[in-house]
Amino acid sequence: MAALPRRIIKETQRLMQEPVPGISAVPDDSNARYFHVIVTGPEDSPFEGGLFKLELFLPEDYPMSAPKVRFITKIYHPNIDRLGRICLDILKDKWSPALQIRTVLLSIQALLSAPNPDDPLANDVAELWKVNESEAIRNAKEWTRRYAMDN
Amino acid sequence: MEMSLKTNERVQEELEALEAILMDDISISYNERGCPELIKTTIFPSTANEVDKQYVCVTLEVKLPEEYPDCEPLVQLRNPRGLDDSTINHLYKSIKDKCAENVGQPVIFELIDLIRENLTESNLPTCQCAVCLYGFSEGDSFTKTQCFHYFHSYCLANHLSITKRHFQEEQDKLPAWQKSTKGFQATCPVCREMIECDIDELKTAHPPKELESAQKFEVTNDLRLLQERMRQLFSYQKSKGGIIDIEAEENKLLLITQSSEETASSESTEDPGPSLSNLNDPVLENGVLKKSQRCDVKMNSSDR
Repeated sequence: MAALPRRIIKETQRLMQEPVPGISAVPDDSNARYFHVIVTGPEDSPFEGGLFKLELFLPEDYPMSAPKVRFITKIYHPNIDRLGRICLDILKDKWSPALQIRTVLLSIQALLSAPNPDDPLANDVAELWKVNESEAIRNAKEWTRRYAMDN
Repeated sequence: MEMSLKTNERVQEELEALEAILMDDISISYNERGCPELIKTTIFPSTANEVDKQYVCVTLEVKLPEEYPDCEPLVQLRNPRGLDDSTINHLYKSIKDKCAENVGQPVIFELIDLIRENLTESNLPTCQCAVCLYGFSEGDSFTKTQCFHYFHSYCLANHLSITKRHFQEEQDKLPAWQKSTKGFQATCPVCREMIECDIDELKTAHPPKELESAQKFEVTNDLRLLQERMRQLFSYQKSKGGIIDIEAEENKLLLITQSSEETASSESTEDPGPSLSNLNDPVLENGVLKKSQRCDVKMNSSDR
């Protein structure tokens, strides 16, 4: 494998030295471009109290291309599908090399606080979120309690 | 009453003088009672009006309490460009001292002067390049955008050639009638303002110096602990059925029914680790792997 770009090293060091509250990201031993991530569910959201595992991969031409990110823990959210794929503009056409691992993960955490059922990825979830928000929120809380807890 | 009227006159005089000197470069807003509330001006270093040589700037915002100038105004520095936190903190300290010295007298012009002097002295970006996250060393070739953001020319060239290539690839996929007529427009990586630059010329720049001398990364104990914690969480959530089983979900999407026994036997309780790692863009769809590419999941299941 080609040498790891300095920027990735610098980001990794900063993630360790000045961690973002509510977010941890740690590189894998066998591949420094692959990060194991935990995002805590934001306060006052249906995901509060949950610990969500994600995986993040920095492609070859990072930071010129966006990281690939996916939820590993099940989550009930209109912009995240059953496979854990995330609908977020900065991961696609709105990517900029001025964004970083930490800003990407913060944006994902913010998406948990602000679900957007008008731009759905999980259609059934988004539909319920629109027609019966309180039931959708109940489901999200239930999934968080059932799947995203720590020992 | 008389006192407040007098205060008001002193403030009015100060503001008129500021407007006379700065003209369009200052904005003053008034509250519903007609009292001045907020004064804003963007300050640049003195470079004998050579705008291309101004590498830093900051917007000064001054709020006037009713008692001003017999008390200190409230000062905020906004939208600093090319300035790092320590430079800004230093500026705040000098501002505070200046305000304290000048209680009872008009201070706004003094503040503007003080900031401009400071900017003139440090008229070289002290921030990091947002692309490589390293600073600017002497001899580095860097570019200041029209929006006052800084990049090593080398880094900006890299960004622009790749976004231009992506733009071209997207265009090539479109039918003729949908193609953009405007061509590629470069934008600033930080604020997305449109920028004008000569990519070919930027490409001739050398890589930044700090980048070459950067230290190597080492796996620390903290990192090991965090890795262990991640593994534990994964196993626990897995035991609660909280981990997404990509294969099973994909099969659901394909409407292929599979017995629950089969699904269970193909699961591993180990954290799958890098499943995105060996893959290049074409096999990724919105960040998720196509089934045939997930060799590690397959490997885990055959291990059992």
